[in-house]
Amino acid sequence: MKPASTLSSAFLTPGGQSLPQPLLDLRAQRGTALADMPLPTRKTENWKYSSRHLKLSEELASALPTSGKCGPALAVPGYHVVFHNGVIVPEACELPDQSGITIQPFAELDDSLAAELAERLDNTLDAEAAQLARLNSARFEDGLYIRLAPDAVLDQPLFIISQTDASCSGSAYPRLYVDAGRHSQLTLVEEYISSGDQPALVNAVSEFTLAEGAQVTSVRLSAEGENVQHVGATGVRQQAHSRFDSHCVGFGGPMRRHDLQVRLEQSGANCRLNGVVVTQGQQHYDNHTVIEHVAPHCDSEETYRNIAAGQSHAVFNGRIHIHQDAQKSNANMSNKNLLLSTGAEIDTKPELEIYADDVKCAHGATIGQLDKQSIFYLVSRGVSRHEANTLLTMAFINELVQQIPVESVRETTQIRLNQFFETTFEEA
Amino acid sequence: MANTDRQVNELIKREYEHGFVTDIEADTFEPGLNEDVIRRLSAIKNEPEFMLEWRLKAYRRWLEMDEPDWAHVDFPKVDYNAISYYSAPKKKEDMPQSLDEVDPELLKTYEKLGIPLHERAKLAGVAVDAVFDSVSVATTFKEPLEKAGVIFCPISEAVQKYPELVQKYLGSVVPVGDNYFAALNSAVFSDGSFVYIPKGVRCPLELSTYFRINAANTGQFERTLIVADDDSYVSYLEGCTAPMRDENQLHAAVVELVVLENAQIKYSTVQNWYPGDENGKGGIYNFVTKRAACIGNNSKVSWTQVETGSAITWKYPSCVLRGDNSVGEFYSVALTHNYQQADTGTKMIHLGKNTSSTIISKGISAGRSSNAYRGLVKFGPGAEAARNFTQCDSLLIGDRCAAHTFPYIESQNKTAIVEHEATTSKVSDEQMFLCRQRGIDAEQAVSMIVNGFCKEVFKELPMEFAVEAGKLLEVSLEGSVG
Repeated sequence: MKPASTLSSAFLTPGGQSLPQPLLDLRAQRGTALADMPLPTRKTENWKYSSRHLKLSEELASALPTSGKCGPALAVPGYHVVFHNGVIVPEACELPDQSGITIQPFAELDDSLAAELAERLDNTLDAEAAQLARLNSARFEDGLYIRLAPDAVLDQPLFIISQTDASCSGSAYPRLYVDAGRHSQLTLVEEYISSGDQPALVNAVSEFTLAEGAQVTSVRLSAEGENVQHVGATGVRQQAHSRFDSHCVGFGGPMRRHDLQVRLEQSGANCRLNGVVVTQGQQHYDNHTVIEHVAPHCDSEETYRNIAAGQSHAVFNGRIHIHQDAQKSNANMSNKNLLLSTGAEIDTKPELEIYADDVKCAHGATIGQLDKQSIFYLVSRGVSRHEANTLLTMAFINELVQQIPVESVRETTQIRLNQFFETTFEEA
Repeated sequence: MANTDRQVNELIKREYEHGFVTDIEADTFEPGLNEDVIRRLSAIKNEPEFMLEWRLKAYRRWLEMDEPDWAHVDFPKVDYNAISYYSAPKKKEDMPQSLDEVDPELLKTYEKLGIPLHERAKLAGVAVDAVFDSVSVATTFKEPLEKAGVIFCPISEAVQKYPELVQKYLGSVVPVGDNYFAALNSAVFSDGSFVYIPKGVRCPLELSTYFRINAANTGQFERTLIVADDDSYVSYLEGCTAPMRDENQLHAAVVELVVLENAQIKYSTVQNWYPGDENGKGGIYNFVTKRAACIGNNSKVSWTQVETGSAITWKYPSCVLRGDNSVGEFYSVALTHNYQQADTGTKMIHLGKNTSSTIISKGISAGRSSNAYRGLVKFGPGAEAARNFTQCDSLLIGDRCAAHTFPYIESQNKTAIVEHEATTSKVSDEQMFLCRQRGIDAEQAVSMIVNGFCKEVFKELPMEFAVEAGKLLEVSLEGSVG
């Protein structure tokens, strides 16, 4: 057997040194640990379907330059933080002025807080499952630290706009850490967009820890350009009676990957994970989710829908892991896929790993096409074929789109979906 | 609860009924594997040159391969050089021509197992090609089969008598380099069954083979090849028990089914090898490659299995649906208890148009066992209007057991439809209450509920197997309530 190729050492040289010392130390330590990391291949279970899309060429190794300015003005209502190539642009941000809510760039943290953070970073993500999240830890140049004091409630959604300016090739490593205190509430929107047309890599990591009774709603929209590879990971740890709501919307690209790992660590914690993925042309999108029921009496509900057209490739891998002590767990997973063309491919793997007996777990997965009879029904009533296809496809995912709690994201999603329908059904 | 606990403890103490060792002098190779061993093996069996070449090719491929470790099982590494690769009952020069000549010790063994080998066989309507360790020693029911033109014989005999058929089909479904254990089997397989059903023939009997592992430290490497020519039909039964042993015994079998135009094969297995004692000591390693190729149009393969034995079961009976309109079915009940581990499931590979497949898998784990379903459903670009339905349910009995589901679903054709569903639950308190309230004891109630859980699969089994399977489940589940 020929040796597996390893991560180029060029990837392990971080840029920007303007972080507090404890974080610089953490970064260096993660970098050392990654030396000679074998790159995923088709034989790497976790990357079975996606390794061929991942291209970590040398030109992507250097950090994208950060000019400290952001691109075109953003018409985002309410609170927002802007990352430009992985570094926060303070002047473009609008932050809430509320007691009990701390929102700070990593670069501005004082040493003691930075030391505490350095201890906690990466704790929510399994190193093996989200291998490339460690690369973010070795490379991040900035990050956003959010802490909600007990009972603090953010009155409006906080938008985190992560802009990648790919006017030259390179990579960016935005980072987010949310510490939600007891009974606090937060709605957070992560939006990933890009400009420029050079090949680029975005490696984004977000981590959430939810204390007892905390409620966090996370919306994640991945909509970068065709030149940008995106590898993202989100890690969540939940304590008693906390709730985590996740809505991921993903549009395909040359390489798109999102790892979502949730650990329900104390009784009564529950999570709901929704996801919509749309791919066309030569695009690719891979969602990997893991829900760990560590404690008894936890609930999880997961619904993912994929639509693949053209020659695209959509992947879903969902794992529910019920630990031995997690009796009385309820876990449901549903993954439905719509394959719109024969050139496209959908791979799905809904897994259950169960070590407790008094549980209710179920998963369902389907792959199919639009129902011919439904199309006929519509067409026979004078609806154009294009319209009929659009209607039925929209109906397939609308349930999830409508659940997105932030209106502006729903609108953006709808616009992108309309573009998708336009190009997909026109050619058909 | 105390009452049930006591019952449980009593029942747990019950030992494996089929655990005994027959004392027969065996002609056995010294442990170890190299090209020389394969040459000797081939020479003993008086094989033609092509077989030796084939074995050596497999052996060379095997040397280059790494032992797979992806399955959800845990066991100490097997030392392949500590295994003896050949063991035959003595007096092989004068093989018995009829049952009278068979070593009475052997017959006694079969009797203890309740195998209907002589007259009982006829009454039961079963032709038995019994494999005792490595060489087939007795074959019955040759005549009615011969009349129909069906070939049913040990594969070693087929190599001599029908070399052209063997050469054409052996390894055509599972190539020598397919996987680690298949390569090992191809290199050293000792014996097994060969079935050929000629064009247009419906096999008049249900064919059956009982396997038995006997001499200590001998790996058993069966090779089964069934070819159903155009418009033919055969139902094949495979069942096994093994004597109690403390060392783990490796079993790496290969089963190949070739199904041509309009033909149908029904392959049923009841596997009840020694699962190890209540502490997880001993037991058989069952690493099997089973695959069917539906080459012709309108062909059909149906795998039915009831797996209750073996310390470790690692097998995926698969169907390659190449012919248009071909059908693949997989019905499985896998029960694990104590420290047993099972990683089993199926692969349905749809290549032809209008192909369809059904997967019904029922996993039951009790004690400290681990039971995984791992399956692949794949639609190639040419699988127009292909269809799959998968249902895998797990039942957990006891809070220290584990049940897993790892389904892989891959689709490259938009007209193909796949549906997969899986559930995991335990025997519910309500169900138990209902039964107990009506005077049914806990043990019986569980057995009843489990039987109901598996009903969909049992109804696919041939009659006599279905009865056996129900019984087997009952015995295997004893001591699991609590």
